[in-house]
Amino acid sequence: MKSKWSRSLALLLALALIASLSVGCAAPQEPAPQEPAEEKPTTDVKAAMVTDVGGLGDKSFNDMSYAGLQRAESELGVQIEVLESKEPTDYESNINQLANAGFNPIFAVGFLMTDTVIKVAPQFPDVNFGGIDIFFENPTPNVLGLLFKEQEAGYLAGVVAGKLTAMPDVDPRINDKKVVGFVGGMEIPPVQKFEAGFIAGVKSVLPDAEVKSVYTGTFTDQQKGIEAGKSLIEGGADIIFAAAGATGNGTAKACKDNKALFIGVDADQYETIEGIGDTIITSAIKRVDNAVFLTVKDAVDGKLKAGENRVFGLAEDGVGLAPYHDWETKMPADVKAAVDKAIADIKAGTVTVPESK
Amino acid sequence: MLLSDIITPELFASAVRLATPIALAAVGASICERSGVVNIAMEGLMLIAAFSGTAVALLSGSTWLGVLAAVVASMAFASLHAWASINLRADQVISGTAINILALGTTGYLMETVFGHPGTTDPVRTIRPVFDFPSGGSGALATVWTWVDTVLFSYTPIVYFGMFAAVFLTWALYRTRWGLRLRSLGEHPRAADTVGIDVYRGRWSAVLASGFMAGLAGANLTLEQVGSFTEGMTNGRGFIALAAMIFGRWVPGGGYLAALLFGFADALQLKLQIFSDVIDIPPQFFLMLPYVLTVVVLAGVVGRAVAPAAVGKPYKAKG
Repeated sequence: MKSKWSRSLALLLALALIASLSVGCAAPQEPAPQEPAEEKPTTDVKAAMVTDVGGLGDKSFNDMSYAGLQRAESELGVQIEVLESKEPTDYESNINQLANAGFNPIFAVGFLMTDTVIKVAPQFPDVNFGGIDIFFENPTPNVLGLLFKEQEAGYLAGVVAGKLTAMPDVDPRINDKKVVGFVGGMEIPPVQKFEAGFIAGVKSVLPDAEVKSVYTGTFTDQQKGIEAGKSLIEGGADIIFAAAGATGNGTAKACKDNKALFIGVDADQYETIEGIGDTIITSAIKRVDNAVFLTVKDAVDGKLKAGENRVFGLAEDGVGLAPYHDWETKMPADVKAAVDKAIADIKAGTVTVPESK
Repeated sequence: MLLSDIITPELFASAVRLATPIALAAVGASICERSGVVNIAMEGLMLIAAFSGTAVALLSGSTWLGVLAAVVASMAFASLHAWASINLRADQVISGTAINILALGTTGYLMETVFGHPGTTDPVRTIRPVFDFPSGGSGALATVWTWVDTVLFSYTPIVYFGMFAAVFLTWALYRTRWGLRLRSLGEHPRAADTVGIDVYRGRWSAVLASGFMAGLAGANLTLEQVGSFTEGMTNGRGFIALAAMIFGRWVPGGGYLAALLFGFADALQLKLQIFSDVIDIPPQFFLMLPYVLTVVVLAGVVGRAVAPAAVGKPYKAKG
């Protein structure tokens, strides 16, 4: 009697396990297909992506990559697919699964997938792999590194922060200390480039300013982001730029609760953090969606050139600064002018933003 | 100058906030394992609680209803673990692992069905701190008051409940009949059974108690601190709680203090990084600090930690 019970329980738990695993791996349900657009161009290109552990819904570069794919689907008629990774160990199996299913190109989203792409790509010589934030030192002919000049977006954010922190009259939340803060996720190249650019930008308009940095070591832990933010605010920072994924949302909350100002990253975070209001000044954005869309478009047009690294900067519309939203009216003209000048200087090449501190 | 910049009242408050979810779970796990049932499902229970609490708070508009939902959901999943490991005498580690995986999958799936998107929910209004004293003037007395106010009176209700539970349960474990009986279940359930203690009932209530504490841990994380739910947001805190439990030698108060130490190391590393221009050490070193501290303390200070003799062993009542 008892053993029969335990056997059926074992079966139940095993089923629950399988069920929860498949929930973890399943691609999100596509919304019911809309009525087929009349003159939708057709192509037999099938493009796919593998998210990193942040997954869809990160309102950051995973979602933006997916937005690029969706744009390719609606504008170019490409068939698309996305597989989410819950653990770093999912990267390889997800990429393999897509390559075997005939998807080409396949995007690996995130620096953390670098080693996996380098390992898997040679096994599928006919498939092109696009690596978001991945720099290939010795690219095989079928890999394409898609990189961004994060430092340029960080620089613009730094110009705004450096200007504003010296203007305590503009907003009661700005103190009279010339200190601004930076919160990083893991210390990896895209984040370091944001930081380096931010510091350079702040110093370019306020040479004696102090930029205090804290790395949390995680992109997914909001509580750490809150505490890092509070720590910086206590250290005198009145404006904090966070390049830390979901961890940064915690920093945004810390800024809101403790009367400091926030600068977002990757996407226009005024839109993605519910109720953030005028706590956020702007965001240093990274147009991952553009890079993905352009790559798929090249594939559709038959002129995709892999085997190299492509870098998207301010000039290529790959990075930029988000609108000021609630700050639009109270932003001093002086600050706006400084940002416009920085943009012009970077595009003209008269200012080169450093990649590292 | 430098030292007073680092050692601030906010540093200690930050340590308590970072420690609380871990501490609550460590206290719950101590009670559970004292009864002889291993509970590595704390991580999953916290995640379930965090999701249920946020979802109910968002849908009902009442944060306290959210806390209730977090506790109820966590206890419901804990009863799965109790049923499997006590009544069915299944391997307790496997049952716990299954609940952890189930929790990750279920919350991810429910995110999609309830909110229509993966990732993070909308924000809820977080619970206010219990006390709100005015900060007093200037001078030495005001500095002392800032310390007292920040370190002792700046927290939310569940934080205080955690402190109370740690002290009360430590006392109860050694000074009450209930505590003696609970410990006997974990050391020698046959002997307990012989003198008429209902082993199944005792273990059930201990597992449910750990579910209750995990529920509060999840509620503290989402409804008192972060203010929203993100998939997988517990980030291993349930497992760190088990380390804290062992570190605290299966005594609730010990587990609480061990969690405080982890929290302090974490708060300290976030603080020290700000002074990297003065103390030129790479951030990776600071990130490593909590774990190094754990190893050092475990190896050097604690000595041998002895688990309850019958922990993890299913008990079969005769007759």
